[in-house]
Amino acid sequence: MNKQEFLDQLRLELSGLPKEDLEERLNFYAEIIDDRIEDGLSEEEAVNEIGPSEEIASQIIAETPLSIIVKERVKPKRRLKAWEIVLLILGAPLWIPLLIAAFAVLFSLYIVLWSLVISLWAVDVAFIAASVAGIAGGCIMLIKGESLSALMGFGIGLIMAGLSIFLFFGCKAATKGTVVLTKKMGLGIKTLFLAKETEK
Amino acid sequence: MDIQLKRGLLDVCVLAAIKDEDSYGYKIIKDMKPYLELSESTLYTILKRLESGNMLSVYSIEHDGRLRKYYHITPSGLQRIEDFKEDWKEMLSIYRFVTKEDQHE
Repeated sequence: MNKQEFLDQLRLELSGLPKEDLEERLNFYAEIIDDRIEDGLSEEEAVNEIGPSEEIASQIIAETPLSIIVKERVKPKRRLKAWEIVLLILGAPLWIPLLIAAFAVLFSLYIVLWSLVISLWAVDVAFIAASVAGIAGGCIMLIKGESLSALMGFGIGLIMAGLSIFLFFGCKAATKGTVVLTKKMGLGIKTLFLAKETEK
Repeated sequence: MDIQLKRGLLDVCVLAAIKDEDSYGYKIIKDMKPYLELSESTLYTILKRLESGNMLSVYSIEHDGRLRKYYHITPSGLQRIEDFKEDWKEMLSIYRFVTKEDQHE
């Protein structure tokens, strides 16, 4: 890939960024590629050292706050016509609740996800509590002299302790997975806005 | 490494790279290479952050028929390096205290 192809590619992938920001970034990469070539590298090598444009683009998108991307996306490319403004205002009772509903749905999905994780942890805590109770009950029975009941208490306590240890690792994995998923969701929403931009 | 700590370290490294003379993107990356690998995208973000924090100023010079951006350190940038040195003196004494335990074992 030569320099121009690389820059065109990057421009396409980052078309959702504000224009000034985009130009500045592209100039930055162009300058470094030129400097590499001046340093004795071939154009191809100079571009390769920077890395694949998709990777760079997704890193930049991940770093850019969502608000900037949305603002750029929502900013009209031309002035709105009078009838469009009238329609926008008249339609407000309709589209504002719809927008709120869309966000509410996304938000509730997010809450559901975390509730699942929290409930897993709650079960684990219950196991721990049950194991403590089982062992404590076993001790009481032992003092009372009922050795059979004591044995059962200890047994239940140990089983619960084992289960709680198993579940602990499960809980940890689930929490980690949800955090990763949350980040991916953020990136997904951003790319959604960017993808629409490139389609035009 | 802790992200916040690393971010602070990178900022100071870039400031140090332009401390003695004004420098440009590729040269900063090349100068830092023996000490740490810095990708272009990361450098861009750091330079932007330092510029908005008034730690450096930017100007362009024509070079070989194209424009090249140079970065110049400001007094607050120099101050940032000094602060960093002071912080690390403190860090080092804490480090010695922490590792003292190891030596006794």
